[in-house]
Amino acid sequence: MGVVTSHRSGGRRRWLAVATAAALIVAACGDDDSNDDGTTDGTEAAGDDTTPDAGTTVDDTTDDTSDDTTAVTEAPDDTGAPAGDARELIIARDMDLTTLDPQRAYCDTCQIFLTAVYQTLIGVDPTDLTVLVPRLADSWEANAESTEFTFTLNPDATFSDGSPVTAADVKFSWERLAGLEGSASYLMSGVTSIEAPDDQTVVVTMEAPNSAFINIVSAPYMGIVSQALAEANGATADETDSAEQWFLSNSAGSGPFVLDSYTEGDQLVLARNDAYWGEPSPFPGVTLKQVKDATAQLQQLQQGDVDIAMQINFDSVGELEGAEGITTELVDSYNFVYVAASAGAVGGEELADPRVREAIKLALDYEGILDTTVGGNGKLQASPIPNGFEGSEGLPLPEQDVAAAEALLAEAGVDGLTLRAAYPSVNVYGVDFDTMMAKVQQDLSAIGIDLELEPVEFAQWVEQITGDGIPFTAVYFAPDHIDSSQYVQYFGMIEGTSWQGRSGADPNADEQQLFADALAASGDAKTDLYNQLGQAMIDDLVIFPLVNPGLVLAYASDITGVRYSACCNLELGGLGID
Amino acid sequence: MTNYVLRRLAITPLLLLGIVTIAFIVSRIIPADPVASIVGERNMNNEAVVNAAKKRWGLEGGVIEQYFTYVRNLVTGDMGTSFRTKQSVTSDLWERLPATAELAFGALIVGGIGGIALGITSARHQNKVVDHLARLVGLVGSSLPVFWLGLIALYLLYVRVGWFPGPGRLPSRVDPPPHTTGLYTIDSLIDGDFGLAWRCLRQLMLPAFVLGWSLMGIVSRLVRAAMLDELHADYVRTARAKGLREGDVMRHHVLRNALTPVITIMGLTLGVLLTQAVLTETVFSWNGIGTYAVEATKRLDYPAINGVCITGGVIFLLSSLVADVLYAAVDPKIRYA
Repeated sequence: MGVVTSHRSGGRRRWLAVATAAALIVAACGDDDSNDDGTTDGTEAAGDDTTPDAGTTVDDTTDDTSDDTTAVTEAPDDTGAPAGDARELIIARDMDLTTLDPQRAYCDTCQIFLTAVYQTLIGVDPTDLTVLVPRLADSWEANAESTEFTFTLNPDATFSDGSPVTAADVKFSWERLAGLEGSASYLMSGVTSIEAPDDQTVVVTMEAPNSAFINIVSAPYMGIVSQALAEANGATADETDSAEQWFLSNSAGSGPFVLDSYTEGDQLVLARNDAYWGEPSPFPGVTLKQVKDATAQLQQLQQGDVDIAMQINFDSVGELEGAEGITTELVDSYNFVYVAASAGAVGGEELADPRVREAIKLALDYEGILDTTVGGNGKLQASPIPNGFEGSEGLPLPEQDVAAAEALLAEAGVDGLTLRAAYPSVNVYGVDFDTMMAKVQQDLSAIGIDLELEPVEFAQWVEQITGDGIPFTAVYFAPDHIDSSQYVQYFGMIEGTSWQGRSGADPNADEQQLFADALAASGDAKTDLYNQLGQAMIDDLVIFPLVNPGLVLAYASDITGVRYSACCNLELGGLGID
Repeated sequence: MTNYVLRRLAITPLLLLGIVTIAFIVSRIIPADPVASIVGERNMNNEAVVNAAKKRWGLEGGVIEQYFTYVRNLVTGDMGTSFRTKQSVTSDLWERLPATAELAFGALIVGGIGGIALGITSARHQNKVVDHLARLVGLVGSSLPVFWLGLIALYLLYVRVGWFPGPGRLPSRVDPPPHTTGLYTIDSLIDGDFGLAWRCLRQLMLPAFVLGWSLMGIVSRLVRAAMLDELHADYVRTARAKGLREGDVMRHHVLRNALTPVITIMGLTLGVLLTQAVLTETVFSWNGIGTYAVEATKRLDYPAINGVCITGGVIFLLSSLVADVLYAAVDPKIRYA
């Protein structure tokens, strides 16, 4: 029974199945360079209508918006915004924002946002991190002991609402940064008072010499908010503060941009500050678009949907070579990844013997790790002070010596050591931690040290490292500002630093003294002291820097001023257009 | 019928309480402390900061106490404040739900209509080339991981041939339509901006297709099996013997009976759809509940995790309720069971 006898209407439906399969096959065989004429919606021109007054700014931005057929091929053809005009700038980035409150923020993307919206008193020349440039402050000076710092503000500086930037605003902002006790509050440690004797003068007093403070002032986290505006919306310098939510949709800074809107997980939109007291940006707005995946960032740059892709993989650089209308640069960064040994952690007791830690250091194949993680697109790093920072020069780079490592382990009487190695399972600065730790595990197994790899989310890693500790781990570090003191304050064997506690060792009196001296010194003497501190941190055998990865800058060729800055990541105010 | 619906409605609050309780317990038995992610690594050694954070984020007191506070707040629609976004979870979810709904609705259309069409085609041409081809299409859709399919689809159709726009709900440099429903395609139509509606629809096509294809496989297999059962039934032979046209036999007899179980499966697949949406949203930078859930989990954002669980649970409950009611409306046997 039930023989299917009818075929009459089958033909009508047949197309559905066939068409679906055919579409897939066509897609799979589709030719590569027939890219942009498939998008026939170029007539819509719904493009840059976000700022109706975009044409009212400077010189060359007002002209022809007609058919600019000479635009580079990657220019977004369906937006109606021809290349060469001051279009809205679109940046693809995997953003790590958790707040937009300038005194609570602490993340890589925060540095970009804060620099664009909240100015600091002092800036850093993006081409030379040793050169400070005036921002809100016209001038600054320190007393001979480096315990008192006086800043003179530029009287022309105004906030985006037109009100002047005064010393009271600086006092309020810095006291709030310290008082809210967020992650960046450590920048204010040692400050005993902030005085504003007049509208243009700020005097900061420290409890001990701190020559780093001038450099610290250039950190984006030291940006200035309008006290009046912030206070009117609940900002205070203690736990009664209730302004965090307000800062998610408003800004109160003096930078070249103001916050337009923020949709968590989607985009951060900045609009040009039309009341900016400095040189205005040619861009009517900048959108930082959440694009998680490096490949997706690359694709969107190739298609002209974004102007700058911030986290392109090293593997993709080759793919972009020769791409018309796209510039790719590989530059040095100040970021680094490292492994660390914590004798103070539960299960890390054997690491208390420095010979065991040195064996670990000698067993690692540094060149191999550099190749495995970033394809050689980076550098080795001697100490926790990254290449390019004061005190990093001339220190010996780590080298592998398996025989010496085995001899040290034998001398220490260690045979068959097993260490728990929890680490954040992330991909940062182009380094995949899973790959890196597999290589480290392989290197250490050669000398009989067995790593039990335990990839975890970053939040869990924080909990573990600050709880019972992790005997062997891997992490990363990016600078908060341009002073080398931050590395000693975090990695040094000095009372109260994070890694001194984890190392299980007592504070190192010599290192502590060197640091105190460095904070009181200046010029060459200071550099020399940080150099000694770098060597001391190498000798501590707690932190083993593995890779100082390079950084890929990939952007539309008509964008100018794309630079990686040690303090601020990418300075949006410095970007221009050809 | 009314009694049946009322009975089903009456047990819904109990089921909801069950979902809330399980979501709460599961989030609290994870061996991880969200305070670390709130205050950051540098401040974990600062007891004053840690205590202040616990107080601010309601992590003081025992789990039982926290549970009752949570349920009490929930009754007033307050799901707490996200540790991560610093916004109310209710408003976070409200903001993202339309994105997921738009995607899920698109996928349901692709999966439902496509699946039914494929199933019918297969059944009508059982064991012929068309049947094999249609089953292959369905099988591929339900077997391929959506994130892989999404990446491949983007690579081929966006990067290589440029037929579809890239990831995201809107093209670059385009503002969203004025907010009415939060569904961009609908909102642009309401606003009378047909150009924008078309652009939004184009953005939706690829993710909806990718997500819908996985559903298509399930639906088509079910429709095919049900159709084959019915096609072989005596009443169909009788209908044909009476001289009815094949089209009428199909529409009025076979399809009507074959589609009954499809209603149920469509209701239940909504759960599958939500799970798959997590991956689809990530690949297509679609800022919906799925990506929110992923980020919340990574940061141990309890209020957000619970909020997503409860929202998912409510959607699942409502959809199965609707499916049950529809099923009961179609099949009298259910009503009296």
